[in-house]
Amino acid sequence: MHNMKRFLEIKNRIREVRTLALMGITEAGSGHPGASFSAAEIMGSLYFQVMRFDVTNPFSQNRDYFINSKAHSAPGYYATLSLSGSFPKEEMKTLRKLNSRLQGHPVRYSEAQKHHSVPGIEYSGGSEGIGLSISVGIALANNLDNRNGVVYCLLGDGEINEGQIWEAAMAAAKFKLDNIVAILDRNRIQQDGFSDDIMPLDPVKDKWLSFNWDVSEINGHRVEQLIDELKKKSLGKPKIIIANTIKGNGIKHMANNPQWHGRAPSKKHLPILIKELEGEYMIAPSIIAGDDGESYESKIEKAERVGSDIIHLDVMDGKFVPNTTFFYDTIKELRGITRLPFDAHLMIQNPYDALDSYIDAGCDVITVHVEECKDEKEFEKINNKIISNGVSPGIAINPNTELPEWICRYLDSLDVIIIMSVNPGFAGQKFMPSVLPKMRNLIPSLRSSGYNGYFEADGGIDLSTISSCYEAGCRIFVMGNAIFKSPDIKETIRNTKFLLDSSLEKELLRESESYGIKDDWMKIRKSVLGQFNSVKGIWEQ
Amino acid sequence: MSYTFSDNIHISEMRSAYGEALVRLGGENPDIVCVGGDTTDSLKTKIFGEKFPARFFNVGIAEANLVSIAAGLAIAGKIPFASTYAAFVPGRCLDQIRNAICYPNLNVKIVVSHAGLSVGPDGASHQQIEDISIMRSLPNMRVLVPSDSITVKSLIKQIVDIPGPFFVRLARPSTQENYSANSEFRIGKGNVLIDGNDLTMFSCGTMVSSSIHASIILKKEHGINCRVVDMYSIKPIDKGLIIKCVKETGSIVSVEEHSVIGGLGSSISDVTSEHCPTFVKKLGIVDVFGESARDDEIDQLFDKYGLSPKEIVKNVIELKKSDRK
Repeated sequence: MHNMKRFLEIKNRIREVRTLALMGITEAGSGHPGASFSAAEIMGSLYFQVMRFDVTNPFSQNRDYFINSKAHSAPGYYATLSLSGSFPKEEMKTLRKLNSRLQGHPVRYSEAQKHHSVPGIEYSGGSEGIGLSISVGIALANNLDNRNGVVYCLLGDGEINEGQIWEAAMAAAKFKLDNIVAILDRNRIQQDGFSDDIMPLDPVKDKWLSFNWDVSEINGHRVEQLIDELKKKSLGKPKIIIANTIKGNGIKHMANNPQWHGRAPSKKHLPILIKELEGEYMIAPSIIAGDDGESYESKIEKAERVGSDIIHLDVMDGKFVPNTTFFYDTIKELRGITRLPFDAHLMIQNPYDALDSYIDAGCDVITVHVEECKDEKEFEKINNKIISNGVSPGIAINPNTELPEWICRYLDSLDVIIIMSVNPGFAGQKFMPSVLPKMRNLIPSLRSSGYNGYFEADGGIDLSTISSCYEAGCRIFVMGNAIFKSPDIKETIRNTKFLLDSSLEKELLRESESYGIKDDWMKIRKSVLGQFNSVKGIWEQ
Repeated sequence: MSYTFSDNIHISEMRSAYGEALVRLGGENPDIVCVGGDTTDSLKTKIFGEKFPARFFNVGIAEANLVSIAAGLAIAGKIPFASTYAAFVPGRCLDQIRNAICYPNLNVKIVVSHAGLSVGPDGASHQQIEDISIMRSLPNMRVLVPSDSITVKSLIKQIVDIPGPFFVRLARPSTQENYSANSEFRIGKGNVLIDGNDLTMFSCGTMVSSSIHASIILKKEHGINCRVVDMYSIKPIDKGLIIKCVKETGSIVSVEEHSVIGGLGSSISDVTSEHCPTFVKKLGIVDVFGESARDDEIDQLFDKYGLSPKEIVKNVIELKKSDRK
C-alpha cells in the first residue's frame, strides 16, 4: 500500500517541503512558515514513511488517518501532500488565492469540495483544539469495524490551551484507544509570543501521563526518532509523542522567533532563503577512527550524545583495500544501541554478493565503490536491490577515479555520491587538496544533469578542510579522528557547525549582493549575523 | 393531511419516541452509533446503549468533544446521533458544529431535547430559545422541530438516509399527538393541520398543539377560521406552501417556543419579504430570558410570555381588528 522511502530520500523531500511551503507563502503574501517548518519532519515521516496511505485511493478502508489539528501548518501540509502525489507542485503558487484548491486552512476532500481541497485531506481544520476529538471518533469507528488503521493527530503546543483537547484526552483514555498516536509539535511559540509567557504548559509530559496516556519525548526534527516512535504501538492506551521542535526551523532568522508565526517573507528574499534550505548538512562520525582500544558502542554513544546526524560505517575487506575493519555481523550487533541512521560504506570486492546481509543488518544507506562495479549492468543490479529494500543507495569514487558516463542514467535514483578525498583503507589520512577542484567541477555538473541527492565528503575532513568541501557543495561530512581524537568532542562539533554556518552566511550574503539587496538582507538577518561577526568582518573587507 | 378532532387526546414524549426510533433503526443499520453527554437518561438514548453497548459512547459533560467525536465517527463512515440538552448544544459548541460538521458537510445528526421555556423549573439558563436562529444560519445544516412523537419517529427514520448534518429540536414535556400512525412528513414541507381562510398560523414544536387549541377557540368564540400549519421543517422551509397561504389567507401569525429573532417567524418572513410581502405577526419570546416555573405552572409561564392558546387568541383578534389584516 505504501512506498517505503529511503532515509536520505525522506530527508531530501522534507527539505523540498520547506522550499515549496516557503514559495507558496511568499507568493500568497501570508501564511504560517513557523508551524510549517516546525512540523516538517513530523509530517514527512508520516507521509513518506510511516503511514499506510495511498493518495490515489484516499478513502481506502484500512488506511491510516492523519488529522492535522494545528491546521495553520497548511503550507507545509500541502507541500507534503503534493510530494506524496496529491497534486502538482506548481499548484503551490495558488496557495491562499481566489479559486485555489489550497485554502488558507485545509478543507476535507470530497466531491462537493473538490475545488477547495486536494485528495488526502481528511479534516477541515482552522479552529484549534478540535482534531483530537475527531481522532477519537475515527478511532472508535475503526475499532467497531475491526479496522487496524492508526489515527495520527498533529497538535500544536499553543493549541492545547484549548479545553476541548483535554476533553478528548479523557475520552481517548476512557475508551482505551491505542489506535491513536498524537504528536505534539512542541515549538514553544504561539501567535502572541513564547508559550511559557502566554500560557505555560509544563510539566506537559506529566499532564498527559496523568490523563492516562502513554508519553514519549523526542527531537521532532530527527526523522529516525520520529519514525521509530510513530511506529511503536502502545497497548491499551492512546499515545502522544512530545516532539521538541524549533518554530521556523530551517531559516535561521525565523527559527524560534515569534514574529514569524504568521508572516510571509518578501519575494525578493525567496531565492536566498531557498539557498539557505539547500545548505542543510549532516555530520557523520566514522567509528573506525579514534582510539583502537575504544569500543564501537562507546564511540556511537559519544557521537549520539554530541548531536551527530548519522553514523558512518567503513566496511573494509582487506582485498578492495588493504585494511580489514568489520562486516555486517558487527553492524547488526550495533544496530540495537542507537536510532541514528547507519551509513554503510562498503569498501569490499563483489559488493552485490554481500548486499542482502548489509540490508538485513539494518543499514539505512549502502554505498558501493564505482571501482568495484565492473560495468553498468553490475551497478544497475546493485542499485535496484538496495532501492527495492527501502535503503538509500550510494556510489563512492576514489580520488583518482572519474564517474563513468553511464552514471547519468541513475541520477534520479541515487541518494548519495561519496567523493573520496583520501585513498581509502585507513583512518587518519590527510585530506588531498587535489580533490577540491574535482568537487567544484563534478558537483555543479551533476546538479545540472538533474541529480538532487547528497554529496558526501569522506577522508581527512576536519576543521581546516570542511569549509572548502561545504562551499564546493558537499552536505554530508564523514569525520573520523577530528571527532574521536578530539579532547572535547562537543566543542569540536560546535566549532564544526559554526564553520559550516559561517560558510553559509557568507554564501547568502554574496547571493544577496548579486540580487542587489545586500543591505536589506543584512537588516532582516541582523539577529543571525550577530553570531557571525567574523563573517560580517570578512565581508566588509 | 389534516388534524382529526377527537375526545381521545393521546399525549407522549418526543424524546422517548426518539430513543425507541434509534433502537429500531439501530437494529436495521449497524452503522448507526450514538454519542451522549451525561444526559442519556433524559434524552432516552440510554436504551440504545443498553441494546447496542459497543455503539454507544457516553463522553461525559463535554459538549465540544461530543459533537466533534460524532464528526470523527462520520468521517470513518458511521451515522452518529449526538444528543444532549438544547441548552448546551449548540450553546457550548457552535464553533465545532460550524467548522467540524457543517463545513465538511459530515453526516452527523444532532438531536437535542429540553428546548424552549417548557423545560420549566431549571430556569432561563436551561431554557434554550436561540438555537433555531443559530443553527439555521449555518450552511449545510438542516433544522427540524417536530411537534409530537409520531413526527419524531418519521423524521428520525428519514434523516438516517439523507447524508449530511441535521439539527432536530425536541422539548421536555409530553405533547399531544397531532398525527396518526400513517401520517406523512417530508423534509422541506409543512403540513396543513386545519384548514381556514381568514389567516394562517404557522407553528412548530410544542406550539403546534397550542395553535390548534387557539384555532378552536377562535372559530367557536370569534368566528375566525384559522389555517393551522405545522412547520416541522424550518430549514429547508416549505416556500411554496408559505406563498400559497399568503395568497389564500392574507396575513400570517407564527408561533414558536423560541426567540422572535431568527426563528420560525423570521424564516417565514424571509420568504414573504422576497416573494409575497405581507404582514407577519411573530409570536415568540420577545428578546428576553425566561424564568423558572414548576411543572404545574407551565401554562401560566406560557401565559406570561405570550405563548398560551389564550394569548395566541388575543393576538389574532388584535391582528384581525387592525388594518393590517
